[in-house]
Amino acid sequence: MRQLIVSFIVVLTGVFVVDRVGGLCMGWVNQHTSDITAPKIRYLVNDVDEDVVLMGTSRCNFHYVPSIISDSLGMSVYNGGIDASDNIFAHYWVLSQVLSHHTPKMVCLELMDNDYKIQSNPFNTISFFAPYYGYDERADSVFRLAGTHWAYEVSHLYRYNAKAVSNLAGLLVNRQANEDHGYLPGPEPVRFPDELEYDETRTDADSLKLVYLRKFISLCEDRAIRLVFMVSPRYSQVGMDKYDVLKAVAAEHGIPFFDYHTRGLFLNHPEYFKDVAHLWDKGARAYSAIFAHDLLLSFEMPSLSRKKALSFRRE
Amino acid sequence: MVPTLFLFIKRPTGGDREVVDIMLFNSIAFLLFFPLVCAVYFALPSLRIRNLFLLAASYYFYMNWQPVYALLLLTSTVITYLAALGIGYFEERAKKRLCLVASLVLNLSILFFFKYYNFAAMNLSVFLEAFGWAVDFPRFDMLLPVGISFYTFQALGYSIDVYRKVTPVERNFFTYALFVSFFPQLVAGPIERSTNLLPQFKEKHAFCYEDAMAGFRFMLWGFFLKLVLADRCGLYVDAVFNNVAHHDGGSFLLASLFFPFQIYGDFAGYSLVAIGVARVMGFRLMENFRRPYFAASVTEFWRRWHISLSTWFKDYIYIPLGGNRVGNLRCYFNVLVTFVISGLWHGANWTFLVWGTLHGALQCVERMFGFHRARWSGFARFLHVFVTFCVVSLAWVFFRANSLSDALTILGEIFTNMAMPYLRLADFMAIAIALSVLFAKEGIDEFGWQVRISESPVWSVRHLYMVAMIAYILLFGVLNGDQFIYFQF
Repeated sequence: MRQLIVSFIVVLTGVFVVDRVGGLCMGWVNQHTSDITAPKIRYLVNDVDEDVVLMGTSRCNFHYVPSIISDSLGMSVYNGGIDASDNIFAHYWVLSQVLSHHTPKMVCLELMDNDYKIQSNPFNTISFFAPYYGYDERADSVFRLAGTHWAYEVSHLYRYNAKAVSNLAGLLVNRQANEDHGYLPGPEPVRFPDELEYDETRTDADSLKLVYLRKFISLCEDRAIRLVFMVSPRYSQVGMDKYDVLKAVAAEHGIPFFDYHTRGLFLNHPEYFKDVAHLWDKGARAYSAIFAHDLLLSFEMPSLSRKKALSFRRE
Repeated sequence: MVPTLFLFIKRPTGGDREVVDIMLFNSIAFLLFFPLVCAVYFALPSLRIRNLFLLAASYYFYMNWQPVYALLLLTSTVITYLAALGIGYFEERAKKRLCLVASLVLNLSILFFFKYYNFAAMNLSVFLEAFGWAVDFPRFDMLLPVGISFYTFQALGYSIDVYRKVTPVERNFFTYALFVSFFPQLVAGPIERSTNLLPQFKEKHAFCYEDAMAGFRFMLWGFFLKLVLADRCGLYVDAVFNNVAHHDGGSFLLASLFFPFQIYGDFAGYSLVAIGVARVMGFRLMENFRRPYFAASVTEFWRRWHISLSTWFKDYIYIPLGGNRVGNLRCYFNVLVTFVISGLWHGANWTFLVWGTLHGALQCVERMFGFHRARWSGFARFLHVFVTFCVVSLAWVFFRANSLSDALTILGEIFTNMAMPYLRLADFMAIAIALSVLFAKEGIDEFGWQVRISESPVWSVRHLYMVAMIAYILLFGVLNGDQFIYFQF
């Protein structure tokens, strides 16, 4: 038994040393990689200073061309959409990190059904942000909510687990060459979606997600940040009530809600899509122009009251 | 700072749902459960109390999933225990046979009901409808009891062994119940034989440093196979196989090449952790995998793949059918029947049936050409290993596909619509590194090269290996607790 205890102590000490040294090395990799996700998170956490910050998941990342929106608004714009940052918990984390060093004039949040519906594991992709565990108390609260904070406390190496290989690959290949303020133009797909799918209609709402959506809103309200919600086009038909849960929250707070999905924008343009959920560069440019125009129109409206916001939503 | 000391770790999944983490080998709950069980096990003074404790721990382990299903485990145990007592008690062969048949029928009925009833009812409805009879059989929406195929076969093997007088009747119910429910191998094998495992419950195992370290080495390699290899491949395989409409030949081919390693890493990984866990406590479970992708024929593949199941089928189905001591045609029939049943054992779906039939048919072809006895070396062996891998991978497509039509679409696309696969450099790198480690280790073992790292005689090398493996798993493992694939069988 004494031998076993000695072996355990040796292995544990060895793992501790390798973990800390490895954590430092992977931290360096995280700071220098030119992979798609890590540089964007790095920029949002440390450097973002644009007037308008777009947030959301891959649909935000692929659908909004900052230069087009910037030209229309006359404000600097950054596309902070992060691939697979699945739902409102991730967006709350991103906003918390941005607000720790910068107050944008406007935040545009791309929403989807994941932002309200019940998922079996809604915290799956929070792990992307683990390298920044300990940077901001409010952002860390999401890890505590997910119950993964203790693992990041114990192991520094584990903080880099979610994107370790991507980050290492990003040292070899530069994937940021054509970057336009966070937007990376996607290449023309081999084939366009050929079948128009029918999305499931509204599902039950996760009350915790709605709490976090409201927390997201109050963070913006506290800093007088203009907030806009949008759902960009998908190549699918959908019930008109799909986003009612989110629209109701937006209406409560007088937040403009641009819903291009239920409206069926681009359903006659399959050539704009690279798959049912994402536009490619051609579609993104066409959509960004429409979105920028609509956004500008909303500026011309006086401060939106709840009632007006509701009528805006109905339009 | 572990969030809770309770073995049931609650993972929040949003405001309206909370899920109890099931106690997988790769869960935090098991990392707490296992050392606790070991410590108490070795601290207990008598063999009898130790066995009772292990039995309680095993049922606790099983009840983490669906507590009520422990009743099925208990039922299966009681049936086979009583049947064996009957076989031992009666002198007349007919009565012994009756006890055996009762055990087989009752156990297989439970298995059929929970695993195959819905499938059979659905297909029977379709069949009758073809003749103009619309019969709508009732369906039962229930969870498949975890590990039911494994413990049922283990218990049935005991009944048959007692009938054949291969093993003596176990009269102590608690010892026998422990044999059926021993937690390391309860839910996904290895399917142990009574001749190997039962006697081990009658010895008092003293703590042994060498056994403990060997057990940990098995566990570490098992975790590598599961978390680094299988789950990494699984991310790609699932993305492709679950979205058949959105991919073409290139992606299907790559996913079909990754799936053999996913299923191997998953299942062999589980088996190794099970063997390791048992070994730490002084128990020796049977080897379940012996580098199957180094096999030079499908027949040899089955001597290396899921050995505990393939030998079970050989001993209890193939040989009673006549084995190979019959004419050629009858022998082919025996092989085919055995593998059709093996396919069905894996699941109630036509895909498994086709997979099993394919394996049976391929072995018949090998027997026709005498490949099953051939011994190749050098380049010829390499060529046969390569061809065998391709053939086995092709058959895995049926195993993995969500439906028969998906499988046919995938194969059709592979052969007619080849295009550049969708694969990110990062995913490719992760899988390539894991495969390199796998082939380095298995190549050394296969060819008997004298390179010993994990079992090095040098103390520091052995410990460095453990440190390196843990760090590798921490950094590159997919650690979000997916279930082992074989739990569904």
